[in-house]
Amino acid sequence: MSLLRVEALAKSFGAIRAVDSVSFELPPGEIYGLLGPNGAGKTTTISMVSGLLTPDSGEVYVDGTAFRAGPQRAKSVMGVVPQDLALYEELSGRENLEFWGRMAGLGGREARTRATEVLEALALTERGQAAVKTYSGGMKRRINLGCALLHRPKLLLLDEPTVGIDPQAREKILEFIRALGAAGTAVLYTTHYLEEAESLCQRIGIIDHGRLLAEGTLPELQRGLGGDRVFVLEGDFKVATPDAWGGFSGRFRVIQKSERQLVVAAVGARDPADCLKELLNLPVRVENVTLKRPSLSDVFLQLTGRDLRE
Amino acid sequence: MNRMLAVLLAKDLRRARRNPLPWVINLIVPLVLTALIGLVFGGRSDGAALGRIRFAVVDEDNGLLGKVLRGGVTQGQGAQHLDPVFLDRAEALRQVNDNQLSAVLILPAHFTSDYLAGSNSLRLELIKNPAESIHPAVMEELLRVVVTAMNTVARVFHGAFAGWRQEIEGDRDYHHVARLIEDAGDRLKSAKAFINPPLVTYDLGDAGADAKAADGRDGSQQAAGAPKAAAPATKAARGATSGIFAYVLCGFAAMFLLFLANTAMTDLHREIRLRTFERYRTIRDDLGTFILGKVVFGTVMLLICAAIMLGGGGLMFGIHWRHPGVLAALILCYATFAATLFALLVALVPDERRANALSTVTGMLLGCAGGCAFPVRQLPAFLRDHVTPLLPTNWFVETARDLQFGAEPAAFGLTALKLLAAALVLGGVTAVLFRRRFAAGTRA
Repeated sequence: MSLLRVEALAKSFGAIRAVDSVSFELPPGEIYGLLGPNGAGKTTTISMVSGLLTPDSGEVYVDGTAFRAGPQRAKSVMGVVPQDLALYEELSGRENLEFWGRMAGLGGREARTRATEVLEALALTERGQAAVKTYSGGMKRRINLGCALLHRPKLLLLDEPTVGIDPQAREKILEFIRALGAAGTAVLYTTHYLEEAESLCQRIGIIDHGRLLAEGTLPELQRGLGGDRVFVLEGDFKVATPDAWGGFSGRFRVIQKSERQLVVAAVGARDPADCLKELLNLPVRVENVTLKRPSLSDVFLQLTGRDLRE
Repeated sequence: MNRMLAVLLAKDLRRARRNPLPWVINLIVPLVLTALIGLVFGGRSDGAALGRIRFAVVDEDNGLLGKVLRGGVTQGQGAQHLDPVFLDRAEALRQVNDNQLSAVLILPAHFTSDYLAGSNSLRLELIKNPAESIHPAVMEELLRVVVTAMNTVARVFHGAFAGWRQEIEGDRDYHHVARLIEDAGDRLKSAKAFINPPLVTYDLGDAGADAKAADGRDGSQQAAGAPKAAAPATKAARGATSGIFAYVLCGFAAMFLLFLANTAMTDLHREIRLRTFERYRTIRDDLGTFILGKVVFGTVMLLICAAIMLGGGGLMFGIHWRHPGVLAALILCYATFAATLFALLVALVPDERRANALSTVTGMLLGCAGGCAFPVRQLPAFLRDHVTPLLPTNWFVETARDLQFGAEPAAFGLTALKLLAAALVLGGVTAVLFRRRFAAGTRA
């Protein structure tokens, strides 16, 4: 049974459709990445799942029960790590952990014990007594994450938890999340970092303009491009019109086209050598052709028509 | 819920302890203002708050009235409040120029003889030290009283003045003096109905008189001639409680407790800005507990601050609070009201900056219009008669002053109920507004 099931979730702010019929589900132990650019609807989705926003339509099921049927029960199952640092800077890391643990229903002694465990797990034991305002960005992010873990949630919602920190600190956090997933915690992870989604998530949902465009494992998404390889052509494509090349659009799918580059994937199972031969005979001057395995970036590009880094 | 409230309260108290500056500022200001205002009036909270007024008497008359005046100002209560020196004109003017004297009173030559002769062109000269404000003004008022008394005496005894003058300046005929005294007695007997009871009285025994007179509430009663019962306070207690410091501190405490309530409830805005409130919402469904926790925090902080303000102020200025227990209960009710009021402003105005500006203005208006910063009688008539009595700040400050200056503790009950009722209404509206805001789905 899924720990989290989201059905046709929708939310509008005035005329803006922030989330449009988004559905996905998350079994225990799985890390599900919701990948999309800023403003795609990731935070709105996670806000509805966590009860911060009321959806216009659709339903959220947590551990088999509709969220709205028992919001407090649903909240006790999940831990939410907001994108912004939601910490009391005057308090120490330990005090923050203990406070949020108490809020989650732990007793005083249990909260203290769990705070010690979480500090240790996050490698913050030595700085646990220091005020959070003296922490580095990475340490604050770790405490921010830890505050959601005191009550051992079965479902963890992480909204871009690594924004604005250095690669080393990011890797520590990702490692920690991997361990949580391995221990059976279901993790919903929103990010706009392709590498994070690729390296961390077992399944990925690509979201843009409020719509979930595709979801699946990385190989599934790659296959959705039309095979497990793409061709990157370099040359002068300023005036090139692939649709006008007789039958080209029936045999290749254009993933990206710029003045200097054309990225295409073959439609159907075809011999790469045949594809290469055909591409070299195109009515444009091709300077170089590279054959590569499609990345998540290519998938994203194909689905949204734009680069995630734009 | 109680456990949650306790955890929320402990967290907020800890944060306030780690970042005390916003609290300290609002604690220091009323104490400093009280000290400044109190010191302007002499720096003491007992009956001699003004200190002794040092002034010179230049007696160029050298007659009977000068001698009477000399005796009057150097004995009894005159000596307690006045510090006269008898100098010639040049020395007196030199000393007033050197700021050694508050004023110089000049009795011109032939003053006594001209007075007894019924002259219409009599003048007493008062030279005030321009470098001082309070003492010269008091001297002027005292002299006005003396002149009024002399005019009254002159009107009543005008016919007998020639005889008195003859006795004073010429040979003393004691039979004649006896007749003059008998005549004076007859005149006083005919004026008895106007003299006793006197038209205007003052009662040193009523500790509340000073303060009440200050805001004009008892002026009409005194003028109507109703004798007031002396308060049973001892002399020591009377001196300690009738001080201007207690009066001023009650007002400033009421006003700055509003600002402190604003500081406490602004923390709700801060929690919203820092997303900690949002995090709470992801954990708990009962938002009321969080809001209530902040109100409880505000109330507790106000109680602590009031204890520092009034307790510390009491120690600093020598104020003996007459009913500390009742005053604490009254402050608890007022603090609850203030905390809910500013919680309402947070609920009403989501924008933190605008809410801060509105809260500051609200605090100032409630404080000033409620009689915290100025005596009520100084307020414009419409405000004083129709608005001020409706303000909880006025309920609190009037009751606190009443407790200090004479009223029995039982009188505070109605005010406490009114404050709690106001807090209840404000709390209810705040809860509805917050609920509506969250239901709209916008970020808190």
